[in-house]
Amino acid sequence: MDLSVSLQGLFPFVLILLVSPFLVGLINKQKAILTGRIGAPVWQPYYDLARLSRKETIYATSASFISRIAPVISFSAILFTLLILPIGYVRPLFSFNGDIIVFAYLLGLARFFQILGAMDIGSSFEGMGAAREATFAVFAEPIFFFTLGSLAFISGHTSIYDIYHSIQLDEPSALVFIIVSSISGFILLVTECSRMPIDDPNTHLELTMIHEVMILDNSGIDLFLYQYGSYIKIMVYAVFEASFFNPFSMANEWLGFSVFIVVIFLLTTVIAWVETMIARFKMKSIPQYLLFATAIGILNLLIYTFVR
Amino acid sequence: MENVLSILFCLTLLYLVVTSRIKTYVTILRIQGVLLSLIMIFPFLHHLSVHLLIIPIVSLIVKAIIIPRFVNKIVIDLDVKRIVEPSIQPFNFLLLSVFSMSVLFVSAHVLSGFTTIEPIPFASAFSAMIIGIFIIIFRKKLIIHVVGFLILENGILLFGTSLSAEMPTIVELGALLDIFVVVFLMGIVINRISSTFAQPDVTALGRLKD
Repeated sequence: MDLSVSLQGLFPFVLILLVSPFLVGLINKQKAILTGRIGAPVWQPYYDLARLSRKETIYATSASFISRIAPVISFSAILFTLLILPIGYVRPLFSFNGDIIVFAYLLGLARFFQILGAMDIGSSFEGMGAAREATFAVFAEPIFFFTLGSLAFISGHTSIYDIYHSIQLDEPSALVFIIVSSISGFILLVTECSRMPIDDPNTHLELTMIHEVMILDNSGIDLFLYQYGSYIKIMVYAVFEASFFNPFSMANEWLGFSVFIVVIFLLTTVIAWVETMIARFKMKSIPQYLLFATAIGILNLLIYTFVR
Repeated sequence: MENVLSILFCLTLLYLVVTSRIKTYVTILRIQGVLLSLIMIFPFLHHLSVHLLIIPIVSLIVKAIIIPRFVNKIVIDLDVKRIVEPSIQPFNFLLLSVFSMSVLFVSAHVLSGFTTIEPIPFASAFSAMIIGIFIIIFRKKLIIHVVGFLILENGILLFGTSLSAEMPTIVELGALLDIFVVVFLMGIVINRISSTFAQPDVTALGRLKD
């Protein structure tokens, strides 16, 4: 691999690092507008991150070394997924056969250390959040594997870059694929990033929440890492979803790029709209909702085995 | 293109399994009516004749407009509670449906080796029948039983189109009339039952005695 290819591979990495807080700001702004408020500026997540990075980090007296390493490991695992995720024509830095599994399990590792870090403090409140996070993660993992895995199965590739480039939009069955995959991709995004129908990102100190309760005892740079990690995660899944539309196979490069941006923008609008319109689900109906997404993925697999 | 529409049909079936509102059931009946008429309009596009246009239009009117409106009217008139009451955990129901759907898809794939059926419309049609029956078995509300019956009928209609042999127009029209009359009669019967019981429900019917 020569130098220019590696530099190109760094491009999506840097782009996502820079843009991801903006995406969250965009979601929050649209949410505010939809509920009739003016809302915080779009750049608010950047200010938040800057504030957090200046603050002192305080550890609970009961915390062991796990609490100190968990945020760092969690964040760096998320950073590594960025190196696998392709944007467009650019081949990511790491692209090898079977990297869909690495991708899923790096995110799994990030979640695992977050759960460990939450349980390490010894607060029952955070333990509850950790238990919920682990439970729903069990139901969210099959969605990923059935959605991308079915495509891997059909195309015969096991690297994300190759899989996305094997999607062809010129056949009518691709239309179904886009519909089916974007539904399950959206549910995956909502679950993994703890957005509305699963978890309410706005409620701190409520008994209903999952993700926010786990970072209650973190402060300063640890909280910075968790927050930035969650912003990046939303961006990763947004790119993951937008790539299903395979805009970069279009004839015109600029058209493809603008389609890509429009899809991501639309996705933020949909998230904001869903968060405005839908109340959070009851805890016991969440597995059913997630299984619905898995069922769609299974349907996808069944269809594609028989269409080709 | 028929495949695309039948897969959308399958998606509506899965949504039907997870949802818990009567309103959504009626909306899905509407969507399925539109999808079915779209599927049935394809023979017309291949060779243009007025004959082939009648059934899609009639089924669009009956399945997408009249019947959902009638079911809605019953729900409003009888003041039925807007939430369906399952007699099984929704999660288990979904698992069961996914399992039976996968079995049907696999067997359709196997069957398409010997016969002239199209696997995807065939499998979606059979899934609709199975899920219609499941809805009748696992839901308590009588009005939902009517919807389950209609889903089953939708499956049979789709099944007819998945076979390459064409049914005569008059038979299909007769089937549509049949469905309409059955729904009409069921509406009247539920109306009657509700004058005796507060909530038309299967559990209430178990208490019937001479």
